[in-house]
Amino acid sequence: MASLLQPDRVLYLVHGEKKIRSPLSTLYFCRYCSELRSLECVSHEVDSHYCPSCLENMPSAEAKLKKNRCANCFDCPCCMHTLSTRATNIPAPLPDDPSKTTMKKAYYLACGFCRWTSRDVGMADKSVASGGWQEPDNPHTQRINKLIEYYQQLAQREKLERDRKKLARRRPYMPLAFSQHTIHVVEKYGLGTRLQRQRPGAPITSLAGLSLKEGEDQKEINIEPAQALDEVEPLPEDCYTRPINLPEVTSLRQRLLQPDFQPAGASQLHPKHKHLLIKRSLRCRKCEHNLSKPEFNPTSIKFKIQLVAVSYIPEVRIMSIPNLRFQKECQVLLTLTNPVENITHVTLVGCEEGDPEDINSTAKVMVPTKELVLAGKDAAADYDELAEPQDFQDDPDVVAFRKSNKIGFFIKVVPQREEDGDVTVSFKIRHDFRNLAAPIRPSEEGDAPTEAIWLTHHVELSLGPIIA
Amino acid sequence: TNSAKNVAKIAAGAVVCVESEIRGEVTIGARTVVHPKARIIAEAGPIVIGEGNLIEEQALIINSYPENIAPDSEGVEPKTMTIGINNVFEVGCMSQALKIGDNNVIESKADLGRNMILTSGCIIGACCQVNTCEVIPENTVIFGSGCQRRVQTERPQPQTLQLDFLMKILPNYHHMKKTVKTTSAVTPAKN
Repeated sequence: MASLLQPDRVLYLVHGEKKIRSPLSTLYFCRYCSELRSLECVSHEVDSHYCPSCLENMPSAEAKLKKNRCANCFDCPCCMHTLSTRATNIPAPLPDDPSKTTMKKAYYLACGFCRWTSRDVGMADKSVASGGWQEPDNPHTQRINKLIEYYQQLAQREKLERDRKKLARRRPYMPLAFSQHTIHVVEKYGLGTRLQRQRPGAPITSLAGLSLKEGEDQKEINIEPAQALDEVEPLPEDCYTRPINLPEVTSLRQRLLQPDFQPAGASQLHPKHKHLLIKRSLRCRKCEHNLSKPEFNPTSIKFKIQLVAVSYIPEVRIMSIPNLRFQKECQVLLTLTNPVENITHVTLVGCEEGDPEDINSTAKVMVPTKELVLAGKDAAADYDELAEPQDFQDDPDVVAFRKSNKIGFFIKVVPQREEDGDVTVSFKIRHDFRNLAAPIRPSEEGDAPTEAIWLTHHVELSLGPIIA
Repeated sequence: TNSAKNVAKIAAGAVVCVESEIRGEVTIGARTVVHPKARIIAEAGPIVIGEGNLIEEQALIINSYPENIAPDSEGVEPKTMTIGINNVFEVGCMSQALKIGDNNVIESKADLGRNMILTSGCIIGACCQVNTCEVIPENTVIFGSGCQRRVQTERPQPQTLQLDFLMKILPNYHHMKKTVKTTSAVTPAKN
């Protein structure tokens, strides 16, 4: 039953600012704090920008300049698929002899999915394969740029005043010039460091970091306020009587993807440059260590640092569920997989009455009381025929089967509620963890360099509906 | 007679592989290529296919009885399915449409209902199931999971290069069905 292996059947509880329950495959494990982390309790940082179709890397400064768009690739304005360049041969007169014609190559953009071509909007074929295509200019660009400059200056001024006030309060003896210098230095590195994480509700400090190098005179920029007009263009006379040409009307999505023009007619839909994607790295908020750092190369899917939870925490999975009956004891078969290479000891503990973490369970669960021993993950186990099967002396009532680093075990479930909805059980899993990241301290007694610490996780299982 | 009905009339110049399944009264025009494992089944009436068509593998062109009519009931007139010239039936598509014009492309795994009428230059996108009772205007493209439509400005080009290539290469690897020498190849009138 493949549905039993769905990731959202088994949820692990993460203790962070918010209590989050999510499958182990989406969680990270900070081995310095020895805690599970979810995507909401880590800080996300942009590593690099790349184009999803030509896989070209772009430094962040260049990306910002090009408004996070690729220079070479285009999106179809009709279906948002990537456009491909096609060539046709057209007869063109030779420059030397106008009477003779040779075949010249002309290029146009075409979409393979919806068959849109650049000829549909009247864009002429270009003679170069790439680089000839231009996006139409926004008529309001000048006004917008001027407004942005004005507000950047305003934000800068506000920031200076605020910082000056702060510094003036704290250290009245510090000379003003020095304080301005430190502000500029801090500004140069901009957002992204711990010092300047954006606080919600703060004024527009993001614009303040952008322009004006040290020492440049601040020009006074004045803008004209927008003028209200009394007269509005009247509607065309046949507005109500003209039949609608439905293929020509653009959909909202097509319109809003081009916020500059928002054309109402499909013959004005020009292709836009493709949006860049980012590679991001994750950082634990408490200890500031990196949890996930991808490789710089866009074609590589590997990670430089990959501290995902599935490679450190034993994973519980549902293997088979019998028919669940209201207030009757059923035996559910679960599997436990050991991701690390050393032997792991796992103890399962049911949740007590009044456990604040136990909010979702709708059934009573009896977990095995004995400690379960999981063999280490041996990468060469498949190829090693002479390996002796390890003798663990499992209790057949508890352990159903054992296969390299995985065991199957039984739990007893008594559904307590007759309502519609899934039967949910929860229990705590306690296992030993050897922290290989901790620095090896020289010990006098010759201890094993890594000591085991015991971690406890709260696990919730969704077992499916009650079958009457 | 029954025997005449079950022999397909393949015009000279058409390339029809032996592994294709042609049942019933089917007429195939010149320069049409029918790939192996294509199926053209004329159950409820004859099928007339024009010139220059490309019918790829696992395509199914079927003139079948409508759902509410049993095969043996009386008073059911056999309706002829006409397919024009330069159409492309891509791999795995199924077409039951009674009238298909020229220069249409039916992409892979598309599904056309019986009551559709394609004019010319239409493109039915991959995996689109279109089962309405309507005439598709010229140069319409149906695409996407929601069968969105748009109108393109030019019709799709006829696949002459591909047809020439296949007519040279297919006989090297497959046996062909016999063509019938007719004085005038049957082609449906262009609309």
